[in-house]
Amino acid sequence: MADQANFEADAMQFAPQLYSAALRMTRNPADAEDVVQETFLKAYRAYDSFQEGTNLKAWLYRILTNTYINRYRKAQRRPSEVELGELQDLYLFKRLGEQSGASESAEAEVLEQFVDADVVQALESLPDNFRMPVLLADVEGFAYKEIAAMLDIPIGTVMSRLHRGRKALQKKLWHLAEERGITGRAT
Amino acid sequence: MSHPCDRAVEEMYFYLDGEMSFYRRVRIRWHLRKCDSCCGAFDFEDGVKRLVREKSHTEPSPELIQRLRTLIREEAGDDAER
Repeated sequence: MADQANFEADAMQFAPQLYSAALRMTRNPADAEDVVQETFLKAYRAYDSFQEGTNLKAWLYRILTNTYINRYRKAQRRPSEVELGELQDLYLFKRLGEQSGASESAEAEVLEQFVDADVVQALESLPDNFRMPVLLADVEGFAYKEIAAMLDIPIGTVMSRLHRGRKALQKKLWHLAEERGITGRAT
Repeated sequence: MSHPCDRAVEEMYFYLDGEMSFYRRVRIRWHLRKCDSCCGAFDFEDGVKRLVREKSHTEPSPELIQRLRTLIREEAGDDAER
């Protein structure tokens, strides 16, 4: 069992990551700060139930995710389940490959031209139920099993939402690349 | 695309996410060694994953960090008073 007196020393290192994740969830700095504060308070109060030696980051993210879901999803401020249309596998790779005059490594070069604001915009364009698995897997690096536990959904649902969420994210990146003229199209 | 390529792309995310048995991993790796087009696709998808990981962080304000520390200390103080 973990000692509450060590909470600040143990958990504060995760605060920047947790804030960033909260901001991607809420898409709003004021709400993200509220969610992180509530998360830290709950985590502190429950810290003596944390099993030392297990994954503290995953434990904190579980509290963060629950806090977010309880606050916003149950408040019905946005619809909780949205469907995405079927998209082709390798969406962005294929779009970029279709550009005439593209050289062998052109696709990888386009990736390098995306800036933080593009990635944030693409992530935040995803409906909530797809954004959460993509965020937890691709930004935070959690395993499917951990994500299933955090979101309280079956692992098969995690996989299918992650798969479709990633394709939708790539579609958004493609549109941003087109807008900014970085699709590698020969001029 | 030929049949092994279809199968490789179908299993691509499990491979890139490290969510695959050793046996299936070896099979994919064997295919990638022989297939330039799948190799390019896998590298690209891995690049997208890296892009999302590296370019999506927003730093909190120093005030928030300070507020969190204060919150914890106040809560600890409340506990001591009880």
